[in-house]
Amino acid sequence: MRRVLLAVLVVLLAASSASAERLVSQLSTDLIEITSSYTGQRLTFFGSIEPDAGAEQRFVEGPFHVVIVVTGPAQARVARQKTNVFGIWINTDQVVFEGFPGYFQVLSSGRLLDITSPTTLAIENILPEAQPTLQDEAGWWKSSVFGRELVRLMTQKGFFGLNESGVQFLSNSTYAARLTLPSDAPPGSYLASTYVFKNGEIVARRAEGFAVRKTGFERFLAVSASQQPFVYGIACVALALFTGWLGGVIFKR
Amino acid sequence: MQIYLPIAELSVNLFFLIGIGGAVGFLSGLFGVGGGFLLTPLLIFSGVPASVAVASVTGQVVAASTSGALSHYRRGGIDMHLAMYLVLSGILGAFGGVAAFSLLRALGQLDLFIALGFLLLLGSVGTLMMIESVNSIVKQRRGVVVRERQAHQHNWIHGLPWRVRFKKSRLYISVLPVLVIGTIIGFLGSLLGVGGGFIMVPALVYLLRVPGNVVIGTSLLQVVAMMGATTILHAVQSQSVDILLAFCLMIGGVAGAQFGASANKYLRGEQLRALLAILVLAVAIRFGLSLILAPADAFSMAVIGPGGAR
Repeated sequence: MRRVLLAVLVVLLAASSASAERLVSQLSTDLIEITSSYTGQRLTFFGSIEPDAGAEQRFVEGPFHVVIVVTGPAQARVARQKTNVFGIWINTDQVVFEGFPGYFQVLSSGRLLDITSPTTLAIENILPEAQPTLQDEAGWWKSSVFGRELVRLMTQKGFFGLNESGVQFLSNSTYAARLTLPSDAPPGSYLASTYVFKNGEIVARRAEGFAVRKTGFERFLAVSASQQPFVYGIACVALALFTGWLGGVIFKR
Repeated sequence: MQIYLPIAELSVNLFFLIGIGGAVGFLSGLFGVGGGFLLTPLLIFSGVPASVAVASVTGQVVAASTSGALSHYRRGGIDMHLAMYLVLSGILGAFGGVAAFSLLRALGQLDLFIALGFLLLLGSVGTLMMIESVNSIVKQRRGVVVRERQAHQHNWIHGLPWRVRFKKSRLYISVLPVLVIGTIIGFLGSLLGVGGGFIMVPALVYLLRVPGNVVIGTSLLQVVAMMGATTILHAVQSQSVDILLAFCLMIGGVAGAQFGASANKYLRGEQLRALLAILVLAVAIRFGLSLILAPADAFSMAVIGPGGAR
């Protein structure tokens, strides 16, 4: 009798571990347009955790945790240190971080260390502190010192961050999260990766991209400045001469 | 009302920009200087990246000097021959200045050299102006007649070779000092985003003995041409000219300059120069303090690449 019960239990456990969840999610926008009145943009993430297609179960069983990682376009960023040389503060040391994300925000439904293990966080590259990579030229010690300072500066600017109450569950299996992109966040393509955790394991994940792009006149100016710099420069001078002349005419100087 | 600057890639209050443009324009109209030496520091202190501030103010300086240069031209107050030498050497200096600007930016020392440059330039010019204006105020109080200009007094500069006759200025002098002055001002102006009128005018008056009726006009024309060339050089080399930022500053600057010019009548020359000296020294001291006081944060960051070094 006992053996039969044990067998039933094993079968039940196997069945439940074979159950699969999938994530259905939606981003409030996939294109953020920078116009002349752009002051930043609020993004909303919606999602629902559902039984995977083809799974036998009809509903999902939590508790779930959701972690959303929003990564901005990679840049070459330099961190510099000032020291006092003969009474003057001068940048004396610097480390260049190639391929450094220009934006990195983590939203989660609870403390990250309660949700999963540090190993998983490291493997999935979820932590802002882990973004500066080892730079061969600088060596291990300088890379880690300057990397930490760079993350601190990025956090002060609001480009990096971790909000452990950023994701709210609306029901057992649906969630919503909000994020405000600051106006000086670098334009480019962004990636929002959503991870669903259950008992410390990732049970579903999904990545969605969105773009931050200058449009209209702003785009025209930025593109001209980088692709037709000579014409752009002449246009600047012509505008300056015209404005100066017009001012003289209007005010009869 | 916020406006997004496409090259600086940040959102700034439009009225703030027009306001500082207007305030600096007022002062430049009052004192008869370009105002770049006030505007560039103000923008840097208010958070615009140094590279974008310098490059965009060059455009503003062109606008601020154009109407003055035009009105001097109509009155015949420009020595075209002298201006040509100054402009050509100024553009040569600007090439060097813009190259140094890019090099320093890549090395991470641009902010340091801008601060040092302003400190030395404004500190020395401000001190000289202060001494000169205090002296003349004191002399005037005592009732001594101040002679404006010692005409046809010669100094060592007039003994140099390659003499050229400048008819309008009634000068027969070597072109060497003219070219040296032009090159130095071109270099400093493009590196610091200043027109250099406040160095050019004393240099023309005291070193070359250019007569007063053509000094201001010639200097203004030189500023327009040299800063116009510098704007194009910055646009090509560092791609950090923000046309929208420059335009907002121009509007404020051109309007403010007119009010400044009319307020000019209510103040006497020596008093004006003393006030200007105080202003120049204040900016120099501000830069000096930023160099010697411990920074709030020893670490700073920047993006590498063209455009504004954010």
